Amino acid sequence: MTVRVTNIQHFSLHDGPGIRTTVFLKGCNLNCPWCCNPENISFEIEKYFENGLNKEFGYDISLNELEKEILKDEIYYNNGEGGVTFSGGEPFLQIANIIPLLKSLKNKGINICFETSLSINSNLVLMAIDYIDEIFIDIKLLEKEKTFNILNLNLDLYLNNLEIINNSDIKKENITFRIPLNMEYTLNKKNIDQIINLLKRYPYKVEIFKTHNLAENKYKLLDKKQVEIKELSDNQINDFYNQIKEITENVEIISL
Amino acid sequence: MNIYFRKIAGPIFNRAQKSNLGRKSINIVFLTRKFIWRFNNKTTAGVYLVKNIHKIFNTNPKLSYAIQIKKLLDKVNIQITDENFIFFLDEFKILSYNNIRVDNISIDYSRTLDNSLHDFKEFYSLKKVNNTKNIDFIQDQLDMIEGIELFILKIIDAIKNSNRQDKDKYIGFFENIINKKVTHFEEALQRILFYNQVLWQTGHYLNGLGRLDKILQDLYYNDINNNFLTKEEAFNLIKNFLKSLHSYYWYKSTAFLGDTGQVIILGGKETDGTYFYNDLTYLFIEAINQLQLPDPKALLRVSKDTPRDLIELSLKTMNTGCGSPLLSNDDIVIDKMIEFGYDADDAYNYVVSACWEPSAVGKGLEQNNINFLSFLKPLNNIFDNESEEFINSINDFDNLFETYKTYLKIEANNLIDILDDVEFNTDPILSMFIDNCKYNQLDVTNGGAKYNHYGITTVSLANTVNSLYNIKQFVFKDKKFSLTEFNNIRKDNFTDCDDLLEQLKTNPKHFGCDDEEIISLTNEIIEYLENCFKDYRNKFGGRIKFGLSSPSYISGGEIISASFDGRRNGEPFSTHISADLNNDYTELMRFASKIDYEGCKFNGNVVDLMVSPNFIKNNFEKFTDYILLSIKLGFYQMQMNVVDSKTLIEAKAHPELHTNLIVRVWGFSSYFNDLPLSYKDLLIERALKNERKLSF
Repeated sequence: MTVRVTNIQHFSLHDGPGIRTTVFLKGCNLNCPWCCNPENISFEIEKYFENGLNKEFGYDISLNELEKEILKDEIYYNNGEGGVTFSGGEPFLQIANIIPLLKSLKNKGINICFETSLSINSNLVLMAIDYIDEIFIDIKLLEKEKTFNILNLNLDLYLNNLEIINNSDIKKENITFRIPLNMEYTLNKKNIDQIINLLKRYPYKVEIFKTHNLAENKYKLLDKKQVEIKELSDNQINDFYNQIKEITENVEIISL
Repeated sequence: MNIYFRKIAGPIFNRAQKSNLGRKSINIVFLTRKFIWRFNNKTTAGVYLVKNIHKIFNTNPKLSYAIQIKKLLDKVNIQITDENFIFFLDEFKILSYNNIRVDNISIDYSRTLDNSLHDFKEFYSLKKVNNTKNIDFIQDQLDMIEGIELFILKIIDAIKNSNRQDKDKYIGFFENIINKKVTHFEEALQRILFYNQVLWQTGHYLNGLGRLDKILQDLYYNDINNNFLTKEEAFNLIKNFLKSLHSYYWYKSTAFLGDTGQVIILGGKETDGTYFYNDLTYLFIEAINQLQLPDPKALLRVSKDTPRDLIELSLKTMNTGCGSPLLSNDDIVIDKMIEFGYDADDAYNYVVSACWEPSAVGKGLEQNNINFLSFLKPLNNIFDNESEEFINSINDFDNLFETYKTYLKIEANNLIDILDDVEFNTDPILSMFIDNCKYNQLDVTNGGAKYNHYGITTVSLANTVNSLYNIKQFVFKDKKFSLTEFNNIRKDNFTDCDDLLEQLKTNPKHFGCDDEEIISLTNEIIEYLENCFKDYRNKFGGRIKFGLSSPSYISGGEIISASFDGRRNGEPFSTHISADLNNDYTELMRFASKIDYEGCKFNGNVVDLMVSPNFIKNNFEKFTDYILLSIKLGFYQMQMNVVDSKTLIEAKAHPELHTNLIVRVWGFSSYFNDLPLSYKDLLIERALKNERKLSF
């Protein structure tokens, strides 16, 4: 059994508690205009040319090899304080392939985290839910039509999956919403109102961050056009932070 | 100083030393350099030197060293400051030398605290009467002790005539040096400063301070428990002590400003496995944190039982950019010292020479930085000097590796030949403080000490491993070129081959990778070098030890041709155990923990991390975890340069905006502005590479 990854990042400090290894699984069903990991969108291995060399985004790795790579930093996971984070792309789209790995990691006491947009068939969530210790859930756009037209995100599925997670054994303090912010898409009045409503219903931790254009080089290598999005000012992000702060104390500005 | 240089410069130096004029000329050259450092201006330095040239006094090299020391101390201009500790050096009074000086050593200052000068005098006087094996040695000791005693009496007179408010206290401190052991914490600090002053004044360089939290522990707690001293007062005394040590920074520096070798050793694993630390461990680090001076520096001995808050304080201090403390992992270092042959008690009580080389405190000649070896030089010797026919005959990697080993052995043997020629100046002062000399009645430079090992530092192991692996991949595996073609590209300094150069530099398999093939190649090279040194014994029975950290990564690189790792002619070698291209910091630690430090390979092995200050600030708790868990994983030693490229680039362009910017170089810290251009550029390049690493 193999999975398709673009990168395995050890010493990852921003994707969950403790010191972690983040596995970036290749392939996503969304088209977020601000995406900073364009190499993770396509499920195919993508060729590019750099420094006189033909290179590729993505490679297949066996579950054994992947487990070995994850366990290289076992000492740094400090008995379950840190662990592994599956990110992407949309990691749930390869979930059927990695279930044996999740089982094995769980048996070894490795903390398992997912970073997801939740726009996926609920069966995929149910398959993995017993193995998940921590989860980051994106809140991007919550107006049904825009969500589908701009992102290709199915809001009904998203909300259903959110409810599944809410009713699961995952500890509430281990669920975190992540909200990407830009004026062009996410920070409009209607969307903000919807976000606030959602947060009132699901009072989890919240991390907010500015979208950025740091992936410019990767877009060039992939010969893809990057949508131009202005970076928010500190004042703009602080305004939003203050609005969220009125609903929950547990909000933090992060940079990704 | 490098022995190759000494070999050339030595005869000229010795000849000049034979005349008064020659000695004076040498001193003017050395002093000019020091004054340029002091005034940061050549004209001011020149004017100052001319005005004071009449003050230069050289001892007569025909006299015994003990008499020379006595005469020198008699001539020293006494300077008593108005407050705080008394510490002064007279840069114009210089001891003459004919051979190599013993330096790079920490004496055991506890002997100065537990003994008065008269205790030493009494020992030697009795020896003189009862059991003299070596009358010259005994007489030297007595002459020198008399010289020190007279020097102290002059200082006492000067204190009496000074305006100090606390003169009675200080007169007492100095009188006690002559006839009493130390009884209080403050007095102990002054006594350490006095003997440290004597060492510098008598031409010793790179003087370490030893385990100060350990040797001052009883005096400190005694004063605290008897309400003689508060913790706050102790903290202020420590700060003043460090400031006194930092004075004459320009005089104490050797290769660059900052290279003073003033290292204070803190913490440490005890023989019963517990971890030693006390209030003073924290106070010294906190004082270094507050003072923000590049020197003196601290080395914290750590183990898996080091408390978290001590690591946090250390990380906070490192994050100021001051470069201190360096961390040395007792769980690894001590075992390696015992395996090599140190007695367990000595290994558990280890200190380091000027930078990082472990040694037994106060027990040896231990010249831990006596020379360096370049791993890359023998590899390049093959490809620079051998015929095309010979190179063509190397038909697989094993054959190349065997050839490399043969050349490495030649390099090792050349180094051994040079070591055998080493002659030291006799050194009555160090002999007074180093164990066994007084019982053996033999000077430390004549084999009087318990340990007499020579330490070698090495450079360019990373460049060698990466070069060998690139040849393996590009020539023997992928068959992109023949070995001769590849060599011609290298000899041509990779001209018009920018893409290839980039591929060679960024090969995903490289030194620092947690990759079995790379680790085994690395270990095989160092194990081979260990075998080359295994049977060596110097004239005192001492052995060779070596480590993978060396100061020579820039100067050593300047004279070596382009290499297969993508390094152009004369470019610097990699720094210590570092891998600026690694994807993450855990991988480098995993790599470092798999290097074989056994046998004689323990002479300093520092993982050198370059981290931006914001990264640590924003992830402080996790970075603390990282250090604690890395200790468990088993790195040997580690130091950090905490600075971002933006600051360094700005400081290079506008030094006036960053006068206090401190960076870590070799194993010491220095003001960035005081560094040569090549060091500034290398730091900027490394900072940029490491920041790219964290931009995920």
